[in-house]
Amino acid sequence: MGLYIRLKKGDKIVANVPTIYRAAKNSPKIPPKSRDDQARRLDTVEIVKEEFGHRTKNPLAAFSILPHKVSFETQEIKEQIVLLLRKHWITNLPWMAVTLLMLAAPAFLKFFPLLEFLPARFQFITVVIWYMFVLAYVLESFLSWYFNVYIITDERFIDVDFYSLIYKRISEAKLDRIQDVSYSQGGIIQALFNFGTVTVQTAGEIPEFELEAVPQPARITKVLNQLLLQEEQEKLEGRVS
Amino acid sequence: MTPFEQTFENLLRLDIWALAKLFVLVFLGVYVAFAVVLVKQVKLMTAVLDGNLNLPLKALALAHLVLAGMVLLLALSIL
Repeated sequence: MGLYIRLKKGDKIVANVPTIYRAAKNSPKIPPKSRDDQARRLDTVEIVKEEFGHRTKNPLAAFSILPHKVSFETQEIKEQIVLLLRKHWITNLPWMAVTLLMLAAPAFLKFFPLLEFLPARFQFITVVIWYMFVLAYVLESFLSWYFNVYIITDERFIDVDFYSLIYKRISEAKLDRIQDVSYSQGGIIQALFNFGTVTVQTAGEIPEFELEAVPQPARITKVLNQLLLQEEQEKLEGRVS
Repeated sequence: MTPFEQTFENLLRLDIWALAKLFVLVFLGVYVAFAVVLVKQVKLMTAVLDGNLNLPLKALALAHLVLAGMVLLLALSIL
């Protein structure tokens, strides 16, 4: 249990450490929080389970509820991931279509002999290099989708962005700094496949987070609002006690 | 005569296909460097988000690097 000194406005600290320690020892203790972290985390998990009813086991899911065996770089020891979100799988269709065309492209060389002027060995190497390109394109596209995630834990919201091969940006906001959560869903495709953009406004350094093309935006908004409510209740209970 | 010596001698004779071969080899060398960066990228990404697909993705990136190296060797030998 730590010792605390309650300072008032205008107080000046001029004493050395032993004096401060003696003063702290004699000062009235600041009351502890009314609910411990374990109880709060259980409440958060209950909120999510009540809303969704099950845990996601699919590692490729764009909407993972209480994902199993998943952790992130700055995760604290007891912090639990509540939701792991990616862009809806349908956003991958463009690059998948391009991949199919690229795979079929060498077959059109029979009808359009673009490489006829090259010796046979050069033609062969060109086709091999082409398919290697296709593999790299698929890998890059998949990595870009898989690792650009939005993480909601029982304590904060994290946005992980990989912009290029070696540039990453990780933004986060504590749940109690979130001020407003809203979502938008426009167009036939978004309505049909139930995905949209969730906008989170915060009181932190980054004023706004946008979760683009995420599945079930209404439910995400609902869960975030419930988590915010829980944080508000925590603050009120802390003040009252 | 080794492939390198043969390539160098062809260059001296200003053989167009030797120049083309050199161009392809340089290109593939750059591509191998890109494949190395890709492996590094996957390592970086899996360090940020540790999930169930980390091992397969690392293996795939490594396989891509090995493939790039093999294509380089193939180009060196058959061109």
